[in-house]
Amino acid sequence: MSGILVVFEQHEGHISRIGWEALAAGQRLSAQLGLPVSAAVIGADTESLAAEIAARPLAKVLRVEHPLLAQYTADGFTLALQQLIESENPAYVIFPHTYQVRDHAPALAARLGQVLIGDVVAIGDGPVFTRQLLQGRLNGSYRHTGNGPCFVSVQAGAFRPEEQHSAATAAQIAVFTPTIDSAQIRTKPGEPFRGSAQTVDLSSAQLIVSVGRGIKEAENIPMVAELATALGAELAASRPICDAGWLPLERQVGSSGQTVSPKLYLAVGISGAIQHQVGMKGSQCVVAINKDPDAPIFEIADYGIVGDLFEVVPALTAAVKAAR
Amino acid sequence: MKIVVAIKQVPERDAQVHIDAAGKWIEEADLQYALNESDAYALEEALQLKEQHGGKVIVVSAGPERVGTTLREALAKGADHAIQIDCDDLGARDALGVAKLLAAAIQPENPDLILTGLQSEDLGLGQTGVIVAELLGLPHATLILHVEKTETGLKVKRELEEGWFQTVELPTPAVLTIQSGGNKLRYATLMGIKRAKTKEVRGVTAAELAVDTAPVVVLEQVTLPQKQKSTQLLSGTAKETAAALVEKLKFEVHVL
Amino acid sequence: MTLLTATLAEPQHFSLAEKLLFAVLAAASATAFGLRFGKILNKILKSKKDADFRLFPIGKRIREFAWEVLCQGKVIRERPLPGLAHAFVFWAFCAFALVTLNHCAAGLGIGFLDPAGRFGRFYFYFAAAFALACVVGILGLFIRRFFIRPKWLGAKLSYQSGVIALLIFVLMSTYLASFFVTDAAATRVLWWIHTLTLLIFLPLIPHTKHLHLILSPATVFLSRGGFSRIPPLAGDEDFGLVAGTDLTRLVSLQAYSCVECGRCTEHCPAASTGKLLNPKEIVLGLRGYLNDLGPASEEPLLGKYNAQEAVFQCTTCGACEFQCPVGIEHLPILVGLRRGAVNTGAWEDPHGSKLFLALERGSNALGISPSERDKFIQKQQLPLFDGTQEYCLWLGCMGGYDPKGREIVADLARVMNYLGASYGVLRKEKCTGDPVRRLGNDLLFQQLAEANLEAMEQNKVKKIVSICPHCVRTIQEDWKEYGTPPEVEHHSEFLARHLNRLPSFADPLAPLAGERDGASRESSLVTGHDFSRAEDAPSLAGALALAAGASNAPTPKREKIVFHDPCYLGRYRNVFDQPREVVALAGELVEAPRSHERSFCCGAGGGLAFLGEETGERVSHVRAAELAATGAGTIGTACPFCNTMFRDALAATGEDAPQLLDIAQLAARGLPENETAQVLSFPGLKIET
Repeated sequence: MSGILVVFEQHEGHISRIGWEALAAGQRLSAQLGLPVSAAVIGADTESLAAEIAARPLAKVLRVEHPLLAQYTADGFTLALQQLIESENPAYVIFPHTYQVRDHAPALAARLGQVLIGDVVAIGDGPVFTRQLLQGRLNGSYRHTGNGPCFVSVQAGAFRPEEQHSAATAAQIAVFTPTIDSAQIRTKPGEPFRGSAQTVDLSSAQLIVSVGRGIKEAENIPMVAELATALGAELAASRPICDAGWLPLERQVGSSGQTVSPKLYLAVGISGAIQHQVGMKGSQCVVAINKDPDAPIFEIADYGIVGDLFEVVPALTAAVKAAR
Repeated sequence: MKIVVAIKQVPERDAQVHIDAAGKWIEEADLQYALNESDAYALEEALQLKEQHGGKVIVVSAGPERVGTTLREALAKGADHAIQIDCDDLGARDALGVAKLLAAAIQPENPDLILTGLQSEDLGLGQTGVIVAELLGLPHATLILHVEKTETGLKVKRELEEGWFQTVELPTPAVLTIQSGGNKLRYATLMGIKRAKTKEVRGVTAAELAVDTAPVVVLEQVTLPQKQKSTQLLSGTAKETAAALVEKLKFEVHVL
Repeated sequence: MTLLTATLAEPQHFSLAEKLLFAVLAAASATAFGLRFGKILNKILKSKKDADFRLFPIGKRIREFAWEVLCQGKVIRERPLPGLAHAFVFWAFCAFALVTLNHCAAGLGIGFLDPAGRFGRFYFYFAAAFALACVVGILGLFIRRFFIRPKWLGAKLSYQSGVIALLIFVLMSTYLASFFVTDAAATRVLWWIHTLTLLIFLPLIPHTKHLHLILSPATVFLSRGGFSRIPPLAGDEDFGLVAGTDLTRLVSLQAYSCVECGRCTEHCPAASTGKLLNPKEIVLGLRGYLNDLGPASEEPLLGKYNAQEAVFQCTTCGACEFQCPVGIEHLPILVGLRRGAVNTGAWEDPHGSKLFLALERGSNALGISPSERDKFIQKQQLPLFDGTQEYCLWLGCMGGYDPKGREIVADLARVMNYLGASYGVLRKEKCTGDPVRRLGNDLLFQQLAEANLEAMEQNKVKKIVSICPHCVRTIQEDWKEYGTPPEVEHHSEFLARHLNRLPSFADPLAPLAGERDGASRESSLVTGHDFSRAEDAPSLAGALALAAGASNAPTPKREKIVFHDPCYLGRYRNVFDQPREVVALAGELVEAPRSHERSFCCGAGGGLAFLGEETGERVSHVRAAELAATGAGTIGTACPFCNTMFRDALAATGEDAPQLLDIAQLAARGLPENETAQVLSFPGLKIET
């Protein structure tokens, strides 16, 4: 058994950004253990994707190609990866922790008698993998004790891709064709669709003001919207606000909403539960306003105001307007 | 439709977190327990399918004796009978080990559909349902918000990232993991509890299920999270903190 | 001849044919009456027995019967003029008993009262006086119903009432007329008119709301024995009022007793703000159900005869039950109907479900993490109850989590500290269960009550003082169903007991509440901090007052404070004076137009504070406007729910809205800035601060 295999994910013909983070995690592990890193990309046509990946410092890039892998299905991807792993025999398989990975990686691991260590936020000596428990209130250290590959998926924003540099020479690219019969693919996925018409793109916004449960009632949202306007920022929200219908789903930031990485993320009345943090951890500067000094959001905030948002927000709006 | 719902009893959401003496889990003495949130949605989905198409809903849970309370709550909400897997060392098993227990208990029932919640509030692995599907050789789909029965099986609404959704069709029998928020939960009623008194809770021990227990992944230690970066807390009146923040935004963050 | 010398003319004799005719007609009338009345009585008796009904103690029942029925106390007090008119009619009917008996006896030739004899003469005049009053009364009532047409009598004109009024009028006027008639033939005609009227009236009684003539004295006498007394569920198959088979005898009796006076509806906060709920219609709906389907029917009570929506608009304020002159107890009926809907899961309401799910999983009705309450306790440095203190200060959901409720608790704690009272707060509290009890969720209520009772015992709680009348009521009355609750009182009762030790903003030289003679001011020396434990400790207020007088301090202006009686403190607990005494410490008390037992609800009760938006006008806005219109600068409340409802309502009013303060806050106002008491000494003095 050898090597670290990093499995990339593609979305509409592009490499998902989080794949680079998985690669960063793989390289971290590689530095610790002295093992070579390879990458895999799965699909029906992966030539250009592989080339992009090969520019990074890697031993090789494996193009796992098959017509039946054009669309993601759990059966297809599990079969393909199972065969790849049986062929390559990696010691570690690193995934980004995405919905897709959650859908098939546990089955893949189980098929090989292993268990996925999912949503890892840190890799320590050992290796020891750190996961969050009890909704972020506890950290757990996991160790792999079985014989066989160790499957890991890494949380978005936990491993910074900036730490990488381009390689001097491109990595070797190989094609791997798994054997898949259409009868083996039992689910039929439909075309993705949006819940409602999209009018805002938070993922490219530079400034975001986000509102959470602390706002108490829908009637109070305009107060925060005013702050957003004064700052020239987009308005976003945590899941409960969108679930209640106070703001449309497309404004939701979090694991089930948008992932954003603005210059400024101003969290108003947001406690900072993990599902939300995951969506905004990539922000360059996080400011939190919350009346609870123990709210988890303060752990990741650069600046914090512990106070009553109903007083702070209007004061801030006024101060911002005066400063502009 | 015969539907099995695998549910988990977890510490209540706002429980005080104190690490136990061994450093491997939290102190359980003062804890209150409740039904895992996404499992409640799974149960609700199952009950609604039963109301629409007839059939039975069976709930199954593994754990120490106290999980019986949560099973009874599920019966009170409308499940038909329950299977309690008596297992005192759930924490020592990994996700594969737990899934093996559940799969072994569920298989004799031969259900049309198996539902689990998306992930648990304590460990948050989100894998049990998927592994059960693998062990039983059944197709599966995750992050499901809505289930519809069709001629050929099921049509389900799956949640994708960033506000996208997808319909997936799959045959039965199948396994689905249910995301929170898809339905309105029903409350437990007196009538439900009274009727639940006569519903069966079948007990089976982990030993009887004879699955191998050696874990391949071990939770070695739990710690309280450290703050990773220093947060500058601005203090004073609303006006003062607002002014201070504007200063920072201007000169340190360069956004004003 | 003048009336005074007139005597009642009676036909001297009847022919056999007449006697026979009378007998036959009387029999026919009585049969018609009996058939219908029998049917109704049957329906009432066939209804389920009330498992918790106790006839004894009977003294209270007799007293209430005497006041409400014989003296028509409630009838007159709540609607004076029409009430008096009705009282005349009623008393006339009572006075007429012998007259009527004699009248019928005379028809058979066996009349026993001699109009010329002393007793007969006196009695007939006596009855005549009542007859006159009755005529005046019935005419007045007729004019009111058919010409003035107050809206709570309903939009449709009740011809039934008109006919009955006419019959009564004829009965009385024929009686009075017979004083003036001497002609034998005319006398006989009058007699027959009177008789026929009587015989027509009799069978009409059970066919109209005038059934109350017979039933309502029984209804008043057979009350459940307490205000808003919710009966326990009887056995495993009892889920509340689901179908006809769940109607008990008391409910059926009450349904048939309704006189449709509309007093309940007139005072109902929901009905007067445009909601579907109309308490009178709820009762009449049950009557309609019983008439059409009977007490053995499995058809749901909520559906055709009463709307589920209406039933869930009730704030359980109790104005209806309080007003009812015939003893109908609306609250057990409304809660019973809610139970039937909730205990069977038939009620699907997103907010209701949210409330129930929050309490299924958590400890408080607001769904907030209990660590928030812990933080509040720590921040306020409230002492923890350890079983040794005298009082357990119960925070409740509002006191523990709501910002306004917390302010009230903080101020009450300040006052209790000042008084040196021995108290502590429990480390953990579960909701008392008031909202789920009023909404009819017996599963949740049982769980909460039992858990709480166990916690009370484990923590050795003997006496509770609470800022919330809902908590007080639920602990004292509703928890009884599952055990023995500790003693509990409302903070107004606590504060009123210690009134003479609380400083006030009042005119310093005016007598203070609790102080009678000037001697108590001069007699004792004020020494050191710990005044308050000793019973004979001198009044700090007195000392301050005297000192203020000595130093020519300006007299503080007394502001006007209008006190709003909370439903659960006033109507439910009969506590009216104590909060007012506390208010008087801080200013000049003014009354709202509807106060004391007639106080108008704030709209939060019955679990409604946790449900969604109201239809129609908001109850809280109506009441807040009424309170503000008194011109008072401050609204005084004694319930955190009232406080929160008015806070939102006044926020809508704007800048010149009156201040809103709980009595605890009013009492705390007078406390010195730092809590440790000042050391003072007497005349010739300087005050050390």
